[in-house]
Amino acid sequence: MSDNNSILTVEVMDSDGSTFTLHEVCERGECHAEFVIKLVSYGIIAPVEPTVEARQWLFDVAALARLHKARRLQRDLKMNLPGLAMSLELLDEVQDMRREVDRLSRQLQQLTREW
Amino acid sequence: MDFKDYYAVLGVSESASPEEIKKSYRKLARKYHPDVSKEGNADEKFKDLGEAYEVLKDPEKRGEYDQLRKYGAQADGSFQPPPGWHSESGFGGGGYTDADSRQFSDFFEQMFGGGQGPGRGAGGGFRQNVRMRGEDVRARLPLFLEEVFNGTEKQVSFAVHEADKQGRIVARQKTLKVKIPAGMREGQHLRLKGQGAPGIGGGAPGDLLVEVELAPHPLFSVEGRDVVVTVPVAPWEAALGATITVPTVGSKVNVKVPKGTSSGRKLRLKGKGLPGKHPGDQIVILQIAIPEQHSAEAEKLYKQLAEAEKAFNPRSKLHL
Repeated sequence: MSDNNSILTVEVMDSDGSTFTLHEVCERGECHAEFVIKLVSYGIIAPVEPTVEARQWLFDVAALARLHKARRLQRDLKMNLPGLAMSLELLDEVQDMRREVDRLSRQLQQLTREW
Repeated sequence: MDFKDYYAVLGVSESASPEEIKKSYRKLARKYHPDVSKEGNADEKFKDLGEAYEVLKDPEKRGEYDQLRKYGAQADGSFQPPPGWHSESGFGGGGYTDADSRQFSDFFEQMFGGGQGPGRGAGGGFRQNVRMRGEDVRARLPLFLEEVFNGTEKQVSFAVHEADKQGRIVARQKTLKVKIPAGMREGQHLRLKGQGAPGIGGGAPGDLLVEVELAPHPLFSVEGRDVVVTVPVAPWEAALGATITVPTVGSKVNVKVPKGTSSGRKLRLKGKGLPGKHPGDQIVILQIAIPEQHSAEAEKLYKQLAEAEKAFNPRSKLHL
């Protein structure tokens, strides 16, 4: 496969990097603008500058990833918006805590290690 | 082809009521949803669940499946449908379903896939008129800390769904060599434009979105942009102060331990953390280490020390 031979340079996406318009996130998230507007009103995702009107919204890649996640959860688990909002918040918290636990247990391991 | 025991997948008995099946599916779907579960094979499990439920929730499909199940798997676990098998309830007839059958197994395809027309999931006759952007594809990429520091080249493998010549949706395994810049953080995304699923009807291809993960390092841990390392010091180094050598990622550096250091004291090495526009720091946590065995000479000296430092009570805050 020719894909194997060339080395591709990636675009790093962080909050000060690439952004997507409302139209682009709808296309990528395969959803209607109304759904995105609802996610914003429930605080599930936020545009980079929330003060401007919806037509001028720009979303960063984290918001896009979250939109994808919201779509999957809604589709697979038949969740409504308040349920989605709460689940995503709890999932974030769980993820942060898992990372923290991993980090702390590694640190603890180092502290109790025999040198 | 392997036989799939849908009852086992859903953890219900053969005589389970539709209500029990639904209940079990819902519970397991929450448990194994790839966005929720931390288990490595959650993707696979969730797919199996969806497939099992798709069959068992539908009385017609379930009836057919039960017949096949009696016909049974062969001794080696492989399975061939009876000669002349044809599903009356399958996807091939064009019936509506909300399930994404592209994800389902060969077993499912053999049992319930129609084999007529342009095949499942492809959208049939609409294809000429519809113009759609290809799907974005997600992948995860674990990196070692050293790779994050220096940047690296990596192979990324992922599956893309695309239409074959017959218009059927098939999964194609793709591998790309990717240049990863230095200073990536856990959870950050990389985008490879146009490397996702191909578009339909001349639509643009989707992107590949790669999420970076950091593999655990035996020495260093990472907090945001900072790198943390625990470094042991001898009691006399901690008491008198010393210059010691500490490891940094890929190198080492000399550090001054201040006089009178207690275990757990943190030293900050500016700019020695993750590289980038705003590089992080390295945090050194000092830990006092004691030799497993002291010489008689050392024990004598410790006794002298204990005498000289009588006033020091390390447990003064414990209200004893």
